[in-house]
Amino acid sequence: MLTLTIFLPLLTGLVVLALPRHRPDLVRRVALAGSVLTLGVAVILWAGFDAGTGGLQWRTTLPWIPSVGASYDVGVGGLALALILLTAILLTVVMVHVLPEHDRAHAHAFLFLLLGTGLIGLFAAQDLLLFYLFFEVGLVPMYFIVGIWGGERRRYAALKFFLYTRAGSLAMLLGFLALYLAMAPHTFSLPAIIQARPLDRVPLAGGLVFLALLIGFGVKLPLVPLHNWLPDAHVEAPTEGSVVLAGLQLKMGGYGMLAVLLPALPETVARFGWLLVALALASLVYGALAALAQSDMKRLVAYTSVNHMGFVTLGVAVAALAGNEEVRRLALNGAAVQMVSHGFLTGGMFLLVGMLQHRAGTRELDRFGGLIGAMPTFSGLFGLLAFGSLGLPGLSGFVAEFQAVGAALQLSAWVAAVAVLALVLTTAVYLRLVTGLLMGRAPPDMPALPPLTAGEAGAAGALAALAVGVGILPAALLALLDGTTAVLAHLP
Amino acid sequence: MTGGPTMGGCMDLGAVAPEMVLAGTALALVPAAAWVRGRWRRLPAAIAFLALLAAMALTAPMLTAAPREAFCGTYAADPFRAFYQLVIEAGALVSLLSLASHFRRSEQEPHYPVALLMATVGGMGLTAATDLGLIVLFLQMVSFPSYLLVLLVRSDEPAQEATLKYFLYGAAALAVMAYGLTFLFGLTGSLNLRAIGAGLAGADRAWVALAFGLVVVGYGFEMTLVPFHVWAPDVFQGGTAPVSGFVSVVPKVAAFAGLLRFLLEAMPNGLAAWPTVLALMAAATMTFGNLVALRQESLKRMLAYSSIAQAGYMLMAVAVAGQVPEALPAIGYYLLAYLPMNLAAFTVVAQVERISGSDSLATVRGLGRRAPWPAAALALALLSLAGVPPLAGFAGKVFLLLAALDGGLAPLALLAAANMAVALYYYAVVIAEMYFREPERAEALAPGAGYAWAVGLCSVGTLTFGIAPGLARTLSQLGATLLR
Repeated sequence: MLTLTIFLPLLTGLVVLALPRHRPDLVRRVALAGSVLTLGVAVILWAGFDAGTGGLQWRTTLPWIPSVGASYDVGVGGLALALILLTAILLTVVMVHVLPEHDRAHAHAFLFLLLGTGLIGLFAAQDLLLFYLFFEVGLVPMYFIVGIWGGERRRYAALKFFLYTRAGSLAMLLGFLALYLAMAPHTFSLPAIIQARPLDRVPLAGGLVFLALLIGFGVKLPLVPLHNWLPDAHVEAPTEGSVVLAGLQLKMGGYGMLAVLLPALPETVARFGWLLVALALASLVYGALAALAQSDMKRLVAYTSVNHMGFVTLGVAVAALAGNEEVRRLALNGAAVQMVSHGFLTGGMFLLVGMLQHRAGTRELDRFGGLIGAMPTFSGLFGLLAFGSLGLPGLSGFVAEFQAVGAALQLSAWVAAVAVLALVLTTAVYLRLVTGLLMGRAPPDMPALPPLTAGEAGAAGALAALAVGVGILPAALLALLDGTTAVLAHLP
Repeated sequence: MTGGPTMGGCMDLGAVAPEMVLAGTALALVPAAAWVRGRWRRLPAAIAFLALLAAMALTAPMLTAAPREAFCGTYAADPFRAFYQLVIEAGALVSLLSLASHFRRSEQEPHYPVALLMATVGGMGLTAATDLGLIVLFLQMVSFPSYLLVLLVRSDEPAQEATLKYFLYGAAALAVMAYGLTFLFGLTGSLNLRAIGAGLAGADRAWVALAFGLVVVGYGFEMTLVPFHVWAPDVFQGGTAPVSGFVSVVPKVAAFAGLLRFLLEAMPNGLAAWPTVLALMAAATMTFGNLVALRQESLKRMLAYSSIAQAGYMLMAVAVAGQVPEALPAIGYYLLAYLPMNLAAFTVVAQVERISGSDSLATVRGLGRRAPWPAAALALALLSLAGVPPLAGFAGKVFLLLAALDGGLAPLALLAAANMAVALYYYAVVIAEMYFREPERAEALAPGAGYAWAVGLCSVGTLTFGIAPGLARTLSQLGATLLR
């Protein structure tokens, strides 16, 4: 069943490629049907998932390259399942959103579906070589998406994105190979490596592998100072590309930290814990300050992602440093919820900014004002997502950030203070956005803005509804995540 | 000689059946090529194609047979040789397909199969020869027809210069190597690799080092190792693209196999510090190849430097071949993966070049719209060369890196990873040109069933070896059994 979820998008993509050239409408329908079907299968996985136990479920193991001890080994914990659901949801939203536009519809749909397979496969992989394979399969289509359908400077942005992430993933690959060679007998099996933790007590090799994995995941997350590719890629990417990039691809880094780095090298992560804390705080503050300085809304939202993902790193760092299991669990829950919540909130924000750009041809904040009168539905959704992103109680962002900061407070009041400072700055960012865009008076040269279509409102509304749902009833999501985080927190 | 009792007693013709089929066909085709007229001009290529298939069928059983020696210990019949011969034959087969389309209705149409088969036989012999005399002979035999192939082009501007350069470099490198081999004979009194290996144990280290230094020149020339690579960019650019593809695969595979046999049999236990020397050459080759490739405007030159860099990656595993059992299968797998990805790239470039008369980067602009399938195949080949999963080049690079790490060459593996990151740039530039720009020309590509088959086979290989590396890995594991 899990294997079906992984490969359903790819199969749909291959079907799409075989469709006749002159029927783009058919392509979109098939692609949408494939995404909905994937979501359906993912929901079945969820229904059959026993959240009470922390172990892997829906496990399938098949030989892949037996002579080097690599296997096709997939299975999900709670966090992975939540991210797979998120992937299926965002994939469907993207397919709804692109219904009316884009030439080369075949290639467009195929690349997004291939990307879906890469992401779902990554979250399910229990073999490091397989993990790496899906990691890159989730990456290469985005290079083409940015390069083909991107904005003015798309070639530059696509190349920069590709080179950055590839350099990071090669570092990660070396780290994986070192872990593999340290196992006796050699194996890429992630559960076996987590069980044995071969390099955790070898200071030099462990440190180097930690560094390699940190670079790999840090580039994706992104962690300051490895974030440089992100604003360009986001600004140049087409709207649906940004949604997937922010909503899903950044999670590859966060998931890697939680599912590979921390459990495979817990003592080493603790040894470098304060470095991680420093990087996390730098990301928090830098992301917020940089966002505050932007006038281009897409760039602004892109920088807030750097800020939001800082909470994920903070959660991992606090979990590694804290001695108390409850604190560790709190921190990890914060990090995990943040990943899911950020997918809804920032994915939705990019979607809305894209709709605005599509209408007005510009994303400059100064060109807009008083939208609350012109586009009430848009304004309502935008306000909701913005307040969710700044961490207003009752929305999903609060659940995540409250837990992360709460755990940090147990570790050190100073760390918590800096995190709160970053939260204040983030609040300023979003208030500026909301007041500038929705309130006040419309500038005289503001273009005419037709209201949202039903499809657009539905796509963004679904994400907003999910953000509200998680905010009001965090228990449903936490129950799913808690199994994973409890196991992670329990590691000695 | 260490072999059998009398010359008559060790004539094992079964051991050279594939070589005999190909050499016989080539000899028969020499007069035939002069006679054929009109549409019969396709006949030599068709016969060569069947001969290559027959040779592959004869070679395959040796993969699982017990290693033995033939011709009084001068020639090996072991799975190692069978594996590399199969790779060489497959490379020749794919090159033949794309050449068949490329030289269609040209003056050269009946001639190239002869040269191609002769070079193939030379390469096959080099993988099996365990005698210094035969090694020199087969190195010449893989080189001379290759010079001729480079000279055969549809229109001849830079080809003569390229051929001359190739010939002069080749003649000098092979002479230096032959000189080095005489030292080995002088030190041990034997021409047999294993006898030399045993005899060198007590020999003067300085002489051994000198001999090794001279011998590596010849192999380094064929393998395009820095600093013996200088000919490659000019020859690849001057030659017609399918020929460049052939030259970038067949002599290279043969020389890798030959060097491995030479090192493992004649220079056991890292004599003359060859692991260190080769590790340093690997570092230089991959770094130089990649850095220069970054600045190329010509596709064939870019692919030439890329193939130099690829040789550097493979040499990394050769350097640890004496101590890491996983190194030999890793090299074998990589050559098997290198063959389809590299030949696919050269074949698509050949199609582009025939239509536009140039191989500059601008000729592939907008190819994604003009010719979707060849463009996709070229993108696939380039991504595989860059090592992106799930393609053949990815699994290959993982195996090579593993071998290097296992052999304690962690800094070299790190350098290789950095190189792979840098290399992505020049491959991505071509992909961007194909897909991220609108076409300026309207024409598609030179058509031809041979091109299509070559590109199709290579793309299937690139994908299959990458998604399910198990089978190819098993083959290369079989091919790691060396007669020792």
